[in-house]
Parts: sequence; structure tokens; C-alpha cells
Amino acid sequence: MTILVIEDEPKTGDYLQRGLAESGFAVRLARNGRDGLAIAREGDIELVVLDVMLPRMDGWQVLEALRADPETEHVPVLFLTARDEVHDRVRGLELGADDYLVKPFAFVELVARIRTLLRRGPVREEELIRIADLEIDVIRRRVRRAGTAIVLTAQEFALLHLLARRQGQVLSRALIASQVWDMNFDSDTNVIDAAVRRLRRKIDDPFPNKLIHTRRGMGYVCETDPCEPEPAPGP
Amino acid sequence: MRTRTGARPMMAGLRHSLAARVTALFMLIVALAAAGLGTYLYVSFVAEIERRDDVALLGKLRQIQLLLGRPGAAGLLDTQPGLFRDTMSGQENSLVRFLAPDGTVLADINAGSERYPVPAAAGTSPDRAAIADWTGSRGDPGRVVAGTARVGDRTVTVVVARLYAERSAMFARYRGRIAGAAALSALAVALCAALILRRGLRPLRVVAAHAALVRPGTLARRLDAAGAPSELLPLVDALNAMLARLQEGYARLSGFSTDLAHEFRTPIANLLGQSQVMLAQPRTVAEYENLVASNIEELERLARMIESMLFLARAQQDEVLPERRPLQAADELAKVAGFFEGMAEERGLRLACTGAGVVHADPALLRRALANLVSNAVRHADEGSTIVLSAHAADDAVELGVENTGAPIAPEYLPHLFERFYRADSARGDAGGSAGLGLSITGAIMALHGGSAGVVAEGTKVRFTLSFPAASHPAHP
Repeated sequence: MTILVIEDEPKTGDYLQRGLAESGFAVRLARNGRDGLAIAREGDIELVVLDVMLPRMDGWQVLEALRADPETEHVPVLFLTARDEVHDRVRGLELGADDYLVKPFAFVELVARIRTLLRRGPVREEELIRIADLEIDVIRRRVRRAGTAIVLTAQEFALLHLLARRQGQVLSRALIASQVWDMNFDSDTNVIDAAVRRLRRKIDDPFPNKLIHTRRGMGYVCETDPCEPEPAPGP
Repeated sequence: MRTRTGARPMMAGLRHSLAARVTALFMLIVALAAAGLGTYLYVSFVAEIERRDDVALLGKLRQIQLLLGRPGAAGLLDTQPGLFRDTMSGQENSLVRFLAPDGTVLADINAGSERYPVPAAAGTSPDRAAIADWTGSRGDPGRVVAGTARVGDRTVTVVVARLYAERSAMFARYRGRIAGAAALSALAVALCAALILRRGLRPLRVVAAHAALVRPGTLARRLDAAGAPSELLPLVDALNAMLARLQEGYARLSGFSTDLAHEFRTPIANLLGQSQVMLAQPRTVAEYENLVASNIEELERLARMIESMLFLARAQQDEVLPERRPLQAADELAKVAGFFEGMAEERGLRLACTGAGVVHADPALLRRALANLVSNAVRHADEGSTIVLSAHAADDAVELGVENTGAPIAPEYLPHLFERFYRADSARGDAGGSAGLGLSITGAIMALHGGSAGVVAEGTKVRFTLSFPAASHPAHP
């Protein structure tokens, strides 16, 4: 699982390399387009995180070169750019980029998208998700915890299903808003917080071990981790 | 960059000059008119002179006929033919010939020995039609006429001819003068036209000079329409309207950057201050973690603000193209209400949806516009009250409304609510960070749809409305 990051901005490159390594990926970093392309051609690269504005060879050219080479044409490419004009996005996707992230982005969002890109083939929808003593029957839309049935509204269920499906992944508020409510813009963060609080009241509050955790500054994660101390709620 | 006027060749400059073109046209017209008039006068003059000469020639013939009619004339004709020449005023170029009925020449007064044709005798009193042309030995034009006269018992033919050498020279001089006068008047007109055009086009140069002075700082100045000729008024008005639009755009832009700087200061001050205080002495890991988390919150706020402002800037430049689709208003209201359910519940608020209709709108933009209104309502509604989301379909528009009960908004604030960064209550700067852009984004989204956003307040009730035009009234046809 080697990810190639091609990024010329020193700080950005460093934190991407470090963050992705800490998320469990092997990472190689290239500081310009030509070096990046050379590393990609060596093989063993599973995914490329590509900046658009690069010295020596820009992101578009690197992408074209990758797609023109039969060795690398199937390697997924995630574009990172500070430009979010529609035609830039369209151009990137037309050239064969697999995803597109506009700077500034939440790091957890980047990790989530990388995981999605690496999960080849259609996602197999699990019929029954189990996390500790929580059971989610996806087909019948029923939730039980420690043998007790819990009644959730449709949206509470959608939120829980998303968190459970992406168990162990920190999900940003923007991603949650987009996936559960189809709201594709950054709105007030408290909306998602309130929705999660509501869900917690039914899922976590009556039980001793908590499953939904707040990662302050990043978002929410669903996992069974009794060692993790619950951070103090924000003001 | 090289100046374009400097590099432009002189001839091309003249060809493209309005004044040069009009002057050339004037010159041509006046030259043609003067030449036409001159030709007409010349032709009439020539005809008149020739008529007079012909009359004089016929008069001579008549004089000779009378002379021949006197008693003893027959003898004189044989002995003193010079006498007849004297009747032609002694002019060298006057020629007289007498012919007997059998054609023998009785007398020939012809000092220059000119050979001229003899036309048929036209009785005793010939008219102008009987006069024939001939050309003298030196190329001068001549006229000749023949008539009969009774001399004693004989009938004699009298031929009178004349050369008009001095007349050709006079005509030539006359032609030269006419051509000169035509050329002179054309030149004079060209000069006058050039002067008049220069004066007449002065308002244009004034407009150009004024336009050249337009700078960001001088946009408030307008072109003076008072002295301008009526033909230039539309241009002056159009330029002034353009200046007004530019001024408005500049004002908006500079207001935007002022707002921007102001709004960015707060989170950046927080980031700087908190981080510097933290680094001033050793802290626990938990404190550092708290700092980083707090910094992330501030940074997210900044990112949201940048996103919102970019959206507004693009929407105002019509760079955001709504992808309109027919949407069930009730579904959209329910979706947005569901999104805010948790937040509303915490404040003890109820969200109610009523009404139906079909809205032609971009779903993402519609949700964003509505969400901004609902988030506003949830923040300001009285605890325990109900927020009503409604849809109302009329003939030409569908109106979505968000109504809440809360602290009354002073009427003077209402018209400003959709302005960027406007906060009716400036003390309530919420860290949630809509930064006063939510309502202006809503307004921009409605403008993109060719609709409008409005607000009415009655006592403690505040109602925001989004009015979408029906599909048959598109904003950009």
C-alpha cells in the first residue's frame, strides 16, 4: 500500500507524508512533477495524491503522462488544488483524475477519500453491522444494543449507518452533512454536532461503554475503544 | 508596450479620420458643382456670342444688298470693288465675293486668300440657318452666308464670310478662368470644412480627454452633458451610465475587501494570540491539544468564510450557473427541516412544514438558501416556539417562507439584512461563523434564479421569503 504524494509546498508535503504514514499507509513524497512521474513509473504505487501547481511539470501534465503509460494508467489519482473553478475540476476529471479535493481540506476528508479510492470494486453492503454490543440490521433498519431495541428516526439511522459503515474512520462534519442530508456546503458546524448529540442520547448515553467519539477539530468516529478518554465537550 | 497611435502610418490615420473624409467629400461636391455651373455659363456665353456674330454677319449681307440696290451700283461693282470691302468696317478677316448668275466671280475681296466653301444662296434675306461653318487656313473658325441681290437687271449672289480668330482665344481664356474658379472654390471649401469640422468635433475631443482622465479615484466625476451637441448626448449619457456602473462596482469591491480584512482579523488574532500565549511557558499535553483543536476551529471558520466570499463573488459575476430542475417544494422543506431537527430540539423549537408546489431550481443552491434561513431562524427564535417552513404556489411564482417568533427586528434594519456582513445585532458575533454572509448568499442564490429574497416583520413574527419565478419565466432566456 504505497501512496505517492507529489506536492511542492514544503509544509504541505511534510504534513501529508506524516499524516498518511500515521494513518497506516506507506508514503513516498516527490517535490516536483518530474520526480513524481519517475517514482510512479518505478511501480508499486497504489495511489497518487497530485497537486496541480507544480514546478517543472504541472499536475495536468503528470496526469496525462500517467494515463498514457500502460504501466500506470490504472493507478487512481486524487487531485489536490487551490483552484476550484468548475472548468478546472472538469478538466482534471476529463484527464482521468479519480477524485478532486480543493484546498483547504480537512485531513480526515483526504484519508476518507483515499480509502474509498483504494477500496476497489463496488462496496459490498453489509446486511448486519456489529460493533461491540451494538447490532445494526441494515435491511430491516433495526438497531439493538445489549439486547434492547432502540427506535431511531430515518435520519438518525442514516447517521448511525454512515458512522458504523466507516468504523474507525474519522468523518468530517462536511462529509456527514453531504452523505446523510445531501447538504453539499459547509454550514454551521453545530448542526451536525446537535444531530450527533441526539443520536448519542439514544445509542450511547444509557450504556457504559461509548461508541461514538468526538475528535475535536476533525469530526466524529465510531469505534469501540474503551482506553480512549472522552474529550471534554466544546464550549 | 508601444503606443498604437505612434506606430500607425500617417496615411492610414488620414484615411480613418472623420474630418479628412468629410473634407474630401465636401471638396469633391463643391468642385463638381462649380465645374457644372461654370460649364453651363460658358456654354450659354458661347452661344450668345455666336448668335451676335451671326446677326452681325447677316447685317453685313443686308448692308451690301442695300448698297447694290442703289443706282449705279452695277458700275461700282465692276470698277470699285474695294468700296464693298469698306462696308465690312475694313476688317482684314471680313471676306466678300460677288458671283454672277452663271457662277463667274464678279469681285472677290479676300486679302488673306482664304479658301472657303460657298453655301447655296438663300434668297434675298437668309436667316441663321443658312450660315455655314468653315475653317480658315490658320485653323481659326469661320462663318459664311450667301444671299442674292438685284444689281440693275442682273441677280448677283453675294457671299459674306468672316474669321473669328480673337474669339477662340477669348473662349480659351474664359474656360481657364472657370476651371481656376472651380478649383479655388473647392480649395476654399476644403479649408472652411476642415476648420468647421475641427470646431464641430471639439465636443468629441472633450469627451475623449475626459475619458482619458478616468481613474479609480475619479469615477465620481461625470461628463458634462450641458455643452454637448444633441448628437453626442446619447454617447455622453452612455459613458456616464458606464461610469456610474464602474463606480458602483468599485465601491462594492473596495467595500468587499474592507469587510474581508475586518472579518479575517478576528480569527487570525485568536490564532496568533492563543498560540503565542501557549508557547510562552511549558504546558501540559492536554493544553497543547486544546490549543491545536481551537486553532482548527478558527481555521475552519476562515475556510468557511473564504468559501462563502468566493461563492458571493462568483455569483455576482454570474459564474455560478444554476442547474434548474423541477423540485417538489414539500420534499425540499422536509429535507432542510430534518437537517436542523437536532439543533432545533436542543433549543426546544419545533419545525413545521406546510404547503406544496413545484420549484424550478438548482437543488444544491435551493437547499443552501433555505438552510441559511432556517439556521438564522433557529438561532433567533424564542425558546419553545415553532418555526414554520411553508410553500405557496401562485401563477407566476412559487414562494417558500421561513417564519419564526423571536425578538423583534427594528424596521430600519430590515432592508439591510441581505447585505454582506450585516448584523442587526453587532454584539452577537457567533463563533459558529456564518459571519453575516448567510443571508447575502441566500440573496445571491435567488438572484441567480431570477427570483428574489425578502423579509417582513410584524411584531415578534419574522418571515423570510424566497420567491422563485415559474419555469415559463426564466431569468436568462
